[in-house]
Formats: sequence, structure tokens, C-alpha cells
Amino acid sequence: MSADEQLTPHALTHLTRGTQVALITLLVGALCLVLEPLVPWLVIWPAEWVLPATDWVGAGLKWFLEGIKPVARLFSELMRYPMNWANAALGATPWPIVIGLVTALGWYIGGLPMAALGFLGLSFVLSSGYWPQSMNTLALVAVSVPLALILGGAIGILANEVPRVKSVVQAVLDVMQTVPTFAYLTPLLLLFGFGPVVGLIASAIYAAPPMARNVMLGLERVEPEIKEAAIMSGGTRFQQLFQVEIPSATTQIMIGVNQCLMAALSMVIIAAVIGGFNDIGWEVLLTMRKAQFGEALLAGMVIVVFAVIIDRMSGALATERKRHDRRVVWALVAFGVVFTALFWSSLPNASEFTLMDPVAGAVDSGLTAFTQANGPWLDALKNNSMFYVLLPLRIGLDQAVLPFTWGFAWTPAMSYGLFAAGAVIAALMAWRGHATGGLMVLIGIGMLETGIANLPWPFVLSGTAALGWVAGGRKLALMSVILLSTILVSGLWERALLSLYLSGAAVFACAVVGGAIGLLSAVSETAWKIVRPICDMLQTIPLFVFLIPVLMVFQIGEFSAFLAICAYAVVPMIRYTRHGLVNTPDEMMEAAISSGATEWQILRDIRAPYAAPTILLGLNQTILYAFAMLVIAALIGTTGLGQSIYLALGQADVGLGISAGAAMAILALIADRMVQGFAEERRQALGL
Amino acid sequence: MTEANTPAIACRKLWQVFGDGAEKALTDALARSGNDADKAADLLRDAGMIPAVQDANFEVHDGELFVIMGLSGSGKSTLIRCISQLLSGTGGEIRIDGEDVRGASKKRLTALRRQKLGMVFQHFGLFPHMTVTENVAYPLRVQGISRAERTERAREVISLVGLEGREDSFPRQLSGGQRQRVGIARSLAVNPDIWFLDEPFSALDPLIRRQLQDEFLNIQATLKKSIVFITHDIAEALKLADRIAIMRDGKIVQIGTPTEIVLHPVDDYVREFSKDVAKGQHAIVSSVMREGETQFGPDDPGLQTGMTLDAALAKCMNLYEPVPVRDSSGEVVGIVHPSDLAAALQVDEA
Ligand SMILES: Nc1ncnc2c1ncn2[C@@H]1O[C@H](COP(=O)(O)OP(=O)(O)O)[C@@H](O)[C@H]1O
Ligand SMILES: [Mg+2]
Repeated sequence: MSADEQLTPHALTHLTRGTQVALITLLVGALCLVLEPLVPWLVIWPAEWVLPATDWVGAGLKWFLEGIKPVARLFSELMRYPMNWANAALGATPWPIVIGLVTALGWYIGGLPMAALGFLGLSFVLSSGYWPQSMNTLALVAVSVPLALILGGAIGILANEVPRVKSVVQAVLDVMQTVPTFAYLTPLLLLFGFGPVVGLIASAIYAAPPMARNVMLGLERVEPEIKEAAIMSGGTRFQQLFQVEIPSATTQIMIGVNQCLMAALSMVIIAAVIGGFNDIGWEVLLTMRKAQFGEALLAGMVIVVFAVIIDRMSGALATERKRHDRRVVWALVAFGVVFTALFWSSLPNASEFTLMDPVAGAVDSGLTAFTQANGPWLDALKNNSMFYVLLPLRIGLDQAVLPFTWGFAWTPAMSYGLFAAGAVIAALMAWRGHATGGLMVLIGIGMLETGIANLPWPFVLSGTAALGWVAGGRKLALMSVILLSTILVSGLWERALLSLYLSGAAVFACAVVGGAIGLLSAVSETAWKIVRPICDMLQTIPLFVFLIPVLMVFQIGEFSAFLAICAYAVVPMIRYTRHGLVNTPDEMMEAAISSGATEWQILRDIRAPYAAPTILLGLNQTILYAFAMLVIAALIGTTGLGQSIYLALGQADVGLGISAGAAMAILALIADRMVQGFAEERRQALGL
Repeated sequence: MTEANTPAIACRKLWQVFGDGAEKALTDALARSGNDADKAADLLRDAGMIPAVQDANFEVHDGELFVIMGLSGSGKSTLIRCISQLLSGTGGEIRIDGEDVRGASKKRLTALRRQKLGMVFQHFGLFPHMTVTENVAYPLRVQGISRAERTERAREVISLVGLEGREDSFPRQLSGGQRQRVGIARSLAVNPDIWFLDEPFSALDPLIRRQLQDEFLNIQATLKKSIVFITHDIAEALKLADRIAIMRDGKIVQIGTPTEIVLHPVDDYVREFSKDVAKGQHAIVSSVMREGETQFGPDDPGLQTGMTLDAALAKCMNLYEPVPVRDSSGEVVGIVHPSDLAAALQVDEA
């Protein structure tokens, strides 16, 4: 195809789908830019047109919540009992016995390594002086997890038994996955009032879906012949389910239990922002607010230790069948009891341990010294990233380029020059046969000039429709546009764009960095040996803890939020990239090698295309992770929807909280469906 | 069992159609085609349905070993699952010992399975979380039989299939052959009258397969169950079967004894199958004889029309000219070229 051929209307019908929609999007965007002076509403949705949807949602929800409040309060009264028991039990049990029990449990599940993990981990907690707070957190988890397990298990089984319910449950779980954590809290706050019960319920609700998912998946994956054998043995449906199918699905269900535990812990800690409970999450928040970073880091480490212990032990429960000698278990417990009895009078109170205080102090002073010593270049890093990357992305070159930062002012002439350069590049690319790519370059330049937060809404809608259409056909395009329009008319548009900008920037950074690390790990086994434990660690750490180190070094602000998001969201990208690249079928590799391809050629021509669908799935996860973290990062300074959700929590504004939460969920859902669509298309193209 | 002439299993006009609204589609298709099964099947296929079993009619007698054979995807598993009511069937009738099971309640089916049905699966279908004994005793456990009693019975069947010493192993610790022994033992735990086996030996290595086939025949010789046995392997079918039903694309194309199947295949599909067997043991001299011809060489190894090809070939080992063939009365009725004999067997080796 040559360039001039494409410009004739006749050729338009011959263009590929992608080129067509890219062209339309480009035209819409250009039109908006040109018409902006004449019809300003093309760019910024006028305030008069905004429906007070947030208020409606708020009023409706309030009415509904007030209706079920008595039931909720009753439930909350009831929950107080097990919570108090758990609290009393964990709080009153002398620490040597708790340590003995956890060590014994570790031994029973996973032998010496797990026992050591339990012992050393809890010893660290003890020496940190955060023992009582940790036990409070643990008490919350201990009550919320059984609730979540029962709830999730029941939902999973119900979905398995009643096929009609299944698709509904699946859809609800999909949506719940995208609703940000903070958004749960506001309505719960209204229902249950301030106090630890909110955290408890929120964590049960948040932790139930992974359980339900895995129960469903596990039951679905039981071999058909095993199910048939149970039927032919003459079992009733009840016997089939509980004696054969559920036990056969144990491995998958235990994975559910593991995820459920981790989710519950994560949520309990996040729920600390409500306050009212002297738990470890609260401790982190408090010390962070007081800028006592040493203490915050120490409390964060305690959380990490718990997360690692819970994750590794429940993980071992899922993967290892072997159970270890019970005699050692009893010996360990007995040792704890005897130790307690012997030193009863001289047993120090767990909160009096201060072994780690010097460390915290050292960290604090070390940090001060570090920031003082490295202040200039840290500041330079932060400022350069802000001024030359993040800010232009957000508000566009035309506003971000100022004499104060860039050394010159942006003029319209520069805009024209930029567009002209873009047009030349696009034309060149089209001439070389990459018409779609050329158009994308032009669109990208337009976006850079305007800034994501200032994009005209018709352009965003048509761009979304275009992407949706290419990724998943008419249905996806329609769904995306309708959902986005609800954000537009409900007045959350600007905040949504701000969220889109920050998460977009973070996802882009993650894709580049994570992709590169994944590639490196795929090529070099040594690199993977180093990267893997780091990834494992990053995935175990509760979201909240990511804030501490970035805050320590870069203070409150958008750049810190950006870093926190990246640190959390980069992991799936690394994992999936490596996994996709490494798992090329041997036969294909052998065929390539025997064709005389070099390492690099194999990577480019065989492995990369084969890995593409997997890598896209990794990108999908990265996007979801980024959205999840975006809301948490509101704690340390982001604008946009995350901030709204956080503010709504503080003001108990259900309407805003839920609407902003829904808007986040919509963005995440659209992104998720589109990337899945592209991945599916790639998979089909490869015949997988 | 009721009267002596009630068949153990009887299928009449049995259909299993997969797809949405299959039952109505089948009724419509049968009405439109004037009850012509082939046309109805075509109509269903055109409507996007899968007629996996079409108009199956057959009976399995008491103590008979009835084999269903066909290529993969021909509907064998679907058919056996209809009979055992793992699939309910879309049209027609299934009687077990005279009782209509398609109309039976869930409760009745459970009772039937507890009393007189046993089933063995291609991939064993063992419960991974139970030991060998627990697996075998499971059909008794669901009936509420005490642990001591069911363990006792389990041990009996376990020794019947030769698995003594592995009672406390888990399925994952066993070899394929051992696993299928467990599957067989489990299906025999309630001492069923009717025994379903869906390709029980197909997943095993040839050597183990042959060994298990022999043991299976031994067990059947003592237990005398009514058996529906599925296989895609003609050699296995010929070795085991009292009668064989051959399926193609959901249709039963021929039912007969092994000899009938080999000697009188109804069409090319069935003939293709018998090509793959050691015809020498099943086909006889008359199938390669040139009838009426009388020009033969000086040698007369004494062939008869009813001899198997193997036996005939053994007598003509060093001969290259045509030899005479006599009928039972000693009359020469035709000739055989030794090369024809060899050629008939040659195909079998392929
Ligand atoms: N549950 C089902 N839904 C739809 N089609 C099925 C189902 N089970 C089997 N089939 C189809 O029915 C046909 C017969 O399958 P099957 O009975 O398993 O064959 P066989 O056991 O002879 O290999 C196949 O075309 C198969 O795809
Ligand atoms: Mg089959």
C-alpha cells in the first residue's frame, strides 16, 4: 500500500479495522482541538450538565443502609463476642506459649524450616515491642478468616450446585476484584459505626471472594470420572460432594485458604485507617503521621513477618502432603508451657521489650544522615521525574513547559512544529506499511501535547470505543463507552482522568521495567535466582507497607505514590514475562535450533510471539494491581478518584465513596476486559 | 433376576442428543423424518446438535459379555453412560432386568447402583484422598455399612484382583495396572449383577493390558456377570466378547459374535477393523479359496474349507503352486494359492 492510495476515500474501506478506528479517533481528537476556542464544552464537560448522581447514590444508599442498620448492629453486637474471646485468648496467653504453639504448628506443617520461620519471626515480633498490637491484629484475622472461609466456601459450593447461579456469582466476583479496598469501608462505617467490627466485616467481605473462586475452580476441575465413580458407588449428592468432590479438590481449596488469609490480613491492616483499635496497622499510620520513620519501618516489618509466616505456612499446607512427627509438636508446646511456668514471676511483659528500639532509632538517624548526604541527587531525581515526565503527561507540554523548569515557554508555534514532525513520521511509517503505527504516533503526540488530564472527552470516548472494538468487538466497545459515560455525567470525570494518568504512567513504567527484568530472568538463571525471592516478598507484603519506605525517602507527594504503585504492580509483569518466555514448547525450540537460529533470533522470532498472550495477561494483572494500590497511595498524596474515596471515608460520605469506588472499578474493568480481549486474540492467532 | 428370558439389559430406540433443547429437537426430527433414524440424525446435525447415540437397539443376556467397539468419538462412552444413567438419554427405552430405568426416580437409581451396578473407568476414577481399601470400600460406606464389615469385604475383593499388600497405599503410589485393579475391585465391592467397563485397559501398556485381560476373563469365569465392555481395540473385543456391537458415528452398524464380525462384515467400516486383527485365528480357508477351479499342483497338504488360515498356512509353508481344498465329505471344491494365504495374513501384520 502506498501513502497516497490510503488518502483516497475509496481506499478507506480497504484499511484494516485497527487503521480505520485509529483514523477516526485521530480525527475526533483533532476536531476537538481545533474547535476548542469555539465550543469549549467539547473539551471540558460543563458543570451544568453534571447529574448529581453522587448525591442520588448517597441518598439511596443511606436510605437502604438505614433500613438494614438494626440487623447490622445486632450482627455487630454478636461479632463482639468472638472478637473479645479471640482478643482475650491471644492477649492473655503468655508469649512463650504463643511462640511455642506457632513453632509447633510450623514443625507439623513443614518440618524444620517452617518451625524456624515461626520461631524466629515471632521472636522478632516480641523483641520489637509490638507484641500486644500484633496480637490484636491477629485476633481480628482469627475471627474474620473463619467468617470469610465459610462465606466463600458456601458461595463456591452454591455456584457449583446451581448452574444458573454460577455465571452471576462469577460476574459479581469479577466486579468485587476491581472495587478498591477503601470503597468497602465507607458504607460499612455507616452500618456498623466506628470500631474494630468494621475492619472485621470488611476483611471478611474482602477475603471471601478468593475462597469462593478457588472452591468453584477446584470443584470444577475434579476429574469427571471421579465424579462419575462417586455416583456409580451409589452416593447421594451430599455424599458425593462432601466425601469425594471436596476432598479431591483439596489442593485448590487450600490455595483459596492461603489467598483468603492474605487478603484478610491485608484488609485488617488497611482498615486501621478507621482507627479505634490498637492494632499494628494503626501503629504504622500513627508513626508515619508523626514522621517517626524508624518506628514505622519496624511496625511495617512486623506486618511483613506476619504476612510471610501466614503465607508460607498456609502455602505449605496446600502443596505438601507430608506431616511431621507429632511428638516434636507436643515437645515444643510443652516447652513453651514449662518455660512459662518456670519463669512465671520473672516473665517480662511482652510490651516491655525494647530490643529493637535502638534499631529504630538508628534507622531514624541513619535516614536523616542518608537524606542529608544524598539530598541533592534524590531531590534531583524526584524533581526531574516530576517536571520532565509526570507533569507533562498530566497537563500536557503546553502547560508543563515553563521557563522556570524547562528554561523556555511553550508557544503555539512549538505545538505546530511538534504536530508537523508527527505528521511526517506518521506519513513515513504509513509509506513503509505501518499505517496503524503511524496514526498511533500522531495520537500519542497529540496526547502528550494536551496532557491526559486535559483530554477532550469525545476523544477519550471514541478512543475507548476504538480500542474496545479492536479488542473484543462491538459489545465490548459499547459496554466501555456506556460505563465511561456514566463517569462523565456524574461529575467524576476529571478525577477519573487524573487516576488514569497516574496509573497509566505507573503501568507503563512497570511494563518497561518489569518486561526488561522478566526478559533478563528468562535468559539468565542466575538473575532469576535473585529476582524470584524479591518477587515472592513483594507479593506477600500487605499493600500498606509499601508506603513506608517511599515516604521515608521522598516524602509525601505524587512521586512517592507513583513509586509505591510501581513497586507493587511490577511483580506480575516480571513473572508473566519470564513464564511466557521460558515455557516455549521444547519441540519449537529444537526446530528453531536445528534451523540454525541464534539465541537472539530464537528469542525474537519464536519465544516472544509465543509468550505474547501470557505477557498480556501479566500486563492485565499489573493494571489491576496498579488500580488497587492507587487508592492506598491516596494516603501519601495522590489526586483523583483514590483521594475522593479516602476523603469520603473521613467524612463518612457514602455517596462519594461508592461513586468514586464504582468509577475506579469501571476503569479497572474496562482495562481488564480490553487486555483480556487482546490476549485472547493473540492466543487464537497462535492456535492455543 | 426375574424370569429366565428377561434380558439383563435391553435398549430400544435409544437416543442421546447433545445440545440445547435436545428432547424437543429429537421429537421434531423423528416426526419430520417419519421415524427414519438416519434422516433424523442428519436433521439434528444440521440443527447444530450432536446425536452421539442414534436409535440403539440391543439386548445383553444374563451372564453375557457384550462388547461395544468403535473408533474414538463414535459414541461408545455416551452409550454406556446412558445405560448406567450417568446420562439420562434423550429418547427411547432402557430396561435393566426388565425395569425401566429412564423413568426411574433419583432415589431408585441410587438404590439400583447400590445393589446391582458396578462401573470401571478408562482413567480409573480413583479417589485420590482415600487408600486402596477406602476406595474399594466406598460403595459400601455410602450405604452406612460398618467399618469392620466393609473393610472385611474390601479385603476379599482386593485379594480377588491380586492387590494384597497394597491395602494402605494411596492411588498416587500405584502403577497404572495396579490402579485399574483397584478400580475393578471397587466396582465389584457390592457384588453387582451388571458390570460396566469403559475402555478399562486402554490406558495401560500392551503387556499389562494382556495380563489384565486374562485375569478379567478368569474373574468373569467365576462370577458370571452380565457385562457391557467398551473398547476401541478389535483384538481385545475378539478375545473377550460373547457378542460384539460395532458403532460408527453414534450408530450401531453391526451386532454379532466375533466370528460373524470377522467373516461377514456388513460394510467397509467393519471390514477395516477386521483388517487389523490376526485374521489367521478367526478367518477360515473358504474365505480365500478359488471356488470351482480344479487346476492344482502335485502337492496335496490336505486343506479343508473350515480350517483357520493359520493352520492352512502352516501346512503350505514350502509350497508355491495351487493346492486343492476339500469339504467335510472329502470332495475337492476349489483351490488355494499359497501366496493368497500369505497375502491374507500379510495385511494383518500391518
Ligand atoms: N457432554 C457432552 N456434550 C456435548 N458433546 C458430547 C458430550 N459428551 C460426548 N460428546 C460428543 O459425543 C460424541 C461421542 O463421544 P463419546 O461417547 O465420548 O465417544 P467414544 O467414547 O466412542 O470415544 C463425540 O462427538 C463427543 O464430542
Ligand atoms: Mg470413550
